[in-house]
Amino acid sequence: MAEVAIGIDLGTSNSSVAHASEGNVEVFTNIYGETITASVVAFEANGDIEVGNAARANIIRDPANTVYSAKRLIGRYFFSEEVKKARAFYGYSIEEAENHGIRIRIRDEEFSLPEVSAMVLRELKAIAETRLGTPVSKAVITVPAYFNDNQRQATVDAGRIAGLEVLRIVNEPTAAALAYGFGKGLQQRVAVYDLGGGTFDFSILEIGDDVFEVLSTAGDTFLGGDDFDDRLIDLLADEFHATHGIDLRHDRQSLEMLKVASEDAKKGLSEDPEVEIQLLDIAEGPSGPLSIERRLGHDEFARLVGDLVQRTFKVCDEALQQAGIVASDLDGVVLVGGPTRLPLIREAVTTYFQQEPKTDIDPDLVVAMGAAIHADSLVDPQSSCQLLDVTPLSLRIGVAGGLAETLIERNTPVPIEQTRTFTTFRDHQESVAIRIFQGESHEASENALLGEFEFAGFEKALRGEVEIDVTFEIDADGIVNVTARDRTTHGEVSKRITLSSGLTKSEIESIVARGDAERLTQATLPPVEENIEREPASPQALPEADFLELLPADEELREGDTTAEMPIYRANLEEIEPHSVQLDPDDESETDWE
Amino acid sequence: MEPIAPSEILALARLVDQIDYYRLLQLQRDATTREIQRAFHTCSRTFHPDANRHQSSQIQAGIRPIAKRITEAYTVLRDPRRRALYDEQLDSGGGVRLTLSRDASDVTAPNPRGTSAQGRQYHALALQNLQQKDFSSAIRNLKTALTFEPGNETFEKLLKTSLEQMDSHPTS
Ligand SMILES: Nc1ncnc2c1ncn2[C@@H]1O[C@H](COP(=O)(O)OP(=O)(O)OP(=O)(O)O)[C@@H](O)[C@H]1O
Ligand SMILES: [Mg+2]
Repeated sequence: MAEVAIGIDLGTSNSSVAHASEGNVEVFTNIYGETITASVVAFEANGDIEVGNAARANIIRDPANTVYSAKRLIGRYFFSEEVKKARAFYGYSIEEAENHGIRIRIRDEEFSLPEVSAMVLRELKAIAETRLGTPVSKAVITVPAYFNDNQRQATVDAGRIAGLEVLRIVNEPTAAALAYGFGKGLQQRVAVYDLGGGTFDFSILEIGDDVFEVLSTAGDTFLGGDDFDDRLIDLLADEFHATHGIDLRHDRQSLEMLKVASEDAKKGLSEDPEVEIQLLDIAEGPSGPLSIERRLGHDEFARLVGDLVQRTFKVCDEALQQAGIVASDLDGVVLVGGPTRLPLIREAVTTYFQQEPKTDIDPDLVVAMGAAIHADSLVDPQSSCQLLDVTPLSLRIGVAGGLAETLIERNTPVPIEQTRTFTTFRDHQESVAIRIFQGESHEASENALLGEFEFAGFEKALRGEVEIDVTFEIDADGIVNVTARDRTTHGEVSKRITLSSGLTKSEIESIVARGDAERLTQATLPPVEENIEREPASPQALPEADFLELLPADEELREGDTTAEMPIYRANLEEIEPHSVQLDPDDESETDWE
Repeated sequence: MEPIAPSEILALARLVDQIDYYRLLQLQRDATTREIQRAFHTCSRTFHPDANRHQSSQIQAGIRPIAKRITEAYTVLRDPRRRALYDEQLDSGGGVRLTLSRDASDVTAPNPRGTSAQGRQYHALALQNLQQKDFSSAIRNLKTALTFEPGNETFEKLLKTSLEQMDSHPTS
């Protein structure tokens, strides 16, 4: 048998693992015979770690020690909106780590997000190993197309911690298109409408002879089926409050019960036009226990979430415009994600695109299947499949005045690189620092900060005489690399500073060495030998260079920080220079020399 | 698609900085959008990193810059606005690469004194230098201004004048 590489759909709520060979794709079932495994990690009091559908029951039973929706947090900073929200609503404890990173605290242990996701990945790896009867060490892992570099890097780290060599990070809608079109000799333009638990992604692809070219992609990382649940939770809680004067949202237990009931009701509406919601003894009233009993119909629910559904079409508009086409140019619309089972979504999609969506592939498995097809194509030299993806977000560089200029526009095909020449602006300046962002705003603070890079070690000279070529690369995984070269000496002067949302190479090594794998409960471990040999880290994703220590920023800079994704860091170096491009931002003060 | 010989790959890797986007994608100057897209697909089949996982690391290292240049060529040629700029640049002997990153999509009216804060600042500094007849500083500042706004005509003109001035006043 050829090399084995699996495809993993690492989802917010659910994950799947599949394998493809010789044109056949198999989605593996877990010990419960299910192709979908909950992305939930339960930490038992005895030290055992349980992953999957059994762990899911613990969300209500033991909320403090059960981690779910880790994907919403991975690659984010402590002060981001998403983390704030999670801290308010999630049952487990999310703490601030060094440099604005986050850790999950479980009893007296701390876990980084990549570690938690690695536990899910390890479970999926084990499922695949059981079914294949052979150790597996290579995988393609999917991420939402709209994931930024921090989130992608953190996902690669998770794979590595799980003992997997991540052959490629593939965008979920791209994987779905692959599963839809591979091996069929299609010449089509298709759209992938991917509404998951927490994110919405939309991509337009051109398929021709097993070349899958993404024309454009757009998304919303704050929009998914869970938001539908929230609407229903609010409706039920508001009604209950109006009747009984008790806010169920203030009690963790009641809130969890409401969540479960709301999700069940929503899912029920995929099957039936009307569902019954029944929550017995949800609260204690002055004269005994109180319950909720109510019917919910398709139309009422459609009104409740109508604006959320319309928001998905705003994203579609954007992607169509970027691709320079209109909805009627599409030969097909592929649906991905649990919520796309809802008739109200299918109706809205049909209306918007003026055509019935393709529903022949299971919307829950299509991503894992595509990942598996791509994984196989990477290990099989005979494979004819070729993915050509784009970067979802514009890559920007911070300039004076708190602005960010575009280096590489969104929807530019990858891999790609751009080089800019920087210079010193003071005589004998020793270092140059630049900040890199991803996002669509000219205001630096409204974009996600990827990192600050400090370049030193070039020959000191007069202002403007040093010329440093800084190359910004986005690789085929959508991961950003920055390197710098001294133009005169041709010496590499780069030093990458990774921010705290990422783990350093040595941190990953120590996590791997700690061996949490042994703690995964036996029932889920495969009867095959663990693959001991750890693949060395691929050189591109984590730099070999020393990491410069980062310090929290000065308060002054922080004040302007209105948005979530904008941490401010400062390199801890002997001489801290503002970046070379930081000149007086005040344009008006400019004297007219002419 | 013919598999490409390793020696050819390495030769192309060495040449890649000298050949223009049309030659790279093996296209005529009047290629249609459709032809450009097809060429991109064909070239990607040969040079995309995914298609070369089985090659030696030396070949893979050679292929990486080619793959990136192919996407760059496609990005420029498929976009009529960029393609027109590029054609003009080629015709005037201005180099085989076009900078993608000019924020051209969001910049409204071009400002002769610069569209970026940095461009304006360095341009202003250069003008100050010129008043003091400090040509070498002016040249440095203009070069810097141009790194922020490659192709800014005002900057380029001024740089040319400064270089000429420098030649005629070599002592300053
Ligand atoms: N039959 C169904 N009808 C409606 N909604 C459903 C159904 N099944 C699952 N969902 C909802 O789908 C969401 C989860 O979708 P899915 O499993 O596709 O997401 P995910 O892959 O975990 O997340 P993401 O892709 O955003 O990372 C949840 O909000 C869930 O309630
Ligand atoms: Mg999903």
